[in-house]
Amino acid sequence: MRIHNILGAAVLAAVAGAVFAQAGVTPATPAGAPAWKQGMAAELSQSPLHPFAPHLTGRPSKDLPVSKLRVPDGFKIEVWVDNVPEARSLALGDNGTVFVSNRNLSNVYAIVDNGGKREVKTIMKGMKSPNGVAFDKGTLYVAERHRITRYDGIESKLDNPGEGKVVIDNLDPNSQPGHFWKYLALGPDGKLYFNIGSPQNITMPNYNEASIVRVDPKTGTLENFAQGVRNSVGMAFHPKTKQLWFTEHGRDWMGTDLPNDELNVVKTKGQHFGFPYCHQGDVLDPIFGQHRSCDQFTKPELKLGAHIAPLGMKFYTGKMFPKEYQNSMIIAQHGSWNRDPKHGYNLIRVSVDAKGKVTSHPFVDGFLENAAGDPPMWGRPVDVLQMKDGSILFSDDYNGIIYRVSYAKKAS
Amino acid sequence: MILSRFARPVGARQRSRTAAVQTAAVFVLACLSPTSHAGLEEGRVKAQVCAACHGADGNSVIPGTPSLAGQPRQFIVTALFMFREGRRKNDQMTPFVEKLSNADLNDLAAYFSSQKMAPPAHKTTPERIAEGKAITRAQNCVACHTATLTGQQHIPRIASQRHEYLLSQLRQFRATTRADFDGTMTSATQALSQADIEVLADYLASLAAP
Repeated sequence: MRIHNILGAAVLAAVAGAVFAQAGVTPATPAGAPAWKQGMAAELSQSPLHPFAPHLTGRPSKDLPVSKLRVPDGFKIEVWVDNVPEARSLALGDNGTVFVSNRNLSNVYAIVDNGGKREVKTIMKGMKSPNGVAFDKGTLYVAERHRITRYDGIESKLDNPGEGKVVIDNLDPNSQPGHFWKYLALGPDGKLYFNIGSPQNITMPNYNEASIVRVDPKTGTLENFAQGVRNSVGMAFHPKTKQLWFTEHGRDWMGTDLPNDELNVVKTKGQHFGFPYCHQGDVLDPIFGQHRSCDQFTKPELKLGAHIAPLGMKFYTGKMFPKEYQNSMIIAQHGSWNRDPKHGYNLIRVSVDAKGKVTSHPFVDGFLENAAGDPPMWGRPVDVLQMKDGSILFSDDYNGIIYRVSYAKKAS
Repeated sequence: MILSRFARPVGARQRSRTAAVQTAAVFVLACLSPTSHAGLEEGRVKAQVCAACHGADGNSVIPGTPSLAGQPRQFIVTALFMFREGRRKNDQMTPFVEKLSNADLNDLAAYFSSQKMAPPAHKTTPERIAEGKAITRAQNCVACHTATLTGQQHIPRIASQRHEYLLSQLRQFRATTRADFDGTMTSATQALSQADIEVLADYLASLAAP
């Protein structure tokens, strides 16, 4: 199995090299290029673009320009809690516990109300990139790189959660760098939906990579749900149609404006969304798209912007926000590194009207300070959570802060 | 011998914490921009324990021990964090880092990042400089480490770093045995030969601050 993969990779590298040569594009360093540089064309080999990294200890909100954050009229934004280093995905327990995950770090946190004061407890340590968290009927599910575990009755044993029970294991047999941290969403069918991303920027994925899969926690049965998805780190089910909507990160090193990151919807199980052949529904990949047509693949519902890095999303179903927010999506955008000038670092609201028209609206801005700066931002939104009162929380992994957005003003 | 040398400064650190708090109180009041200088005075005191190996001003005089002066603040926190988590291991460093708080990490980073890097202790030939420069361009080391190779954000300064340290770290990255924050250096060094690594270490260690 392993030998096959290595051989396969060697053959692919040779094929990719040949295709590059045909297309008149020379890969700079196809073998041994860092994962984040893979697929870079020769003319970009001196590019100064580089990824950003979170402040691993977190930064206190009092040292940050939080007053610069902007929300629509009538809304209010405030720091809900800080000192949650690398706060990533969010899940809400029945008793009000907010569970928070890590990607580069290895913890899961629980934020509880301790006599009117918010307390951050580290309830799990030493996990392998435990980016995915979901809560259902008293159980917390945690998706690490290689497995999903369950913690039944978690809210009554936060100080001693014990060992989780394995739902599914061996999801990461090769332990190679790649888009293998997971986002976890609970389906209306009680199944857990998550991503298995692409191994590199732009390579041929194997049969279960670059996909969205689902597992039945009762049986451990794994099924492919959507294919050709480079990496989705945000997904949610429409409250009415029950269809799965998801954000997707497009490939890097095709320039400032290509390709767009996507918002997609799965209408039929097994649909193919184009990766690695076609990007943003209408741009063929210079390596893998030469003998393909974009018409062979499902197109995105919305192009979000190149490299803007959409992450967590939720449909708004609360009673607090104005009527037009009902059933629309709140999407956190981590912000770009693979373009100049930078954009994103915000939250948007995306609505779908009765005719199916999909429209993006600004929601939270102000993290981006200088689009030409390095770094350009002081915070990076990651995931969204709707609270019982109808307010929204969102996480910022760059600083380890969770913010709350509420609405008070009646329409005037 | 080594144990006793390290034992003394730990005690000194305990005693100096109170002094650090007093100094800090005065300092914070005097300081208009808390984000840029926060922790510098606390860090100066806490850094006394690091001086035996890394130098009082963060310029190491011990072969194989890295210099910390002028390193980006976020890089120092990241490195200390990885030692504390046990992801990066070193028999000498680990005992010092294990008990440090997040505030300690940030104070130490504030101090060492504000120190001036000393002129390089290492010298090489113009030919090696030209060769080394060519490798840093071809591999685009400058994308992350910057044009002056002085680092930024979570990425270290490699210019004027200790020669033996550069050699050992590059060799470990290439052997895939060096803890790596995001896999970038492990991947990047796969394209280097052992001879390239010797040239790079020679060049970088001799490279003065701009």
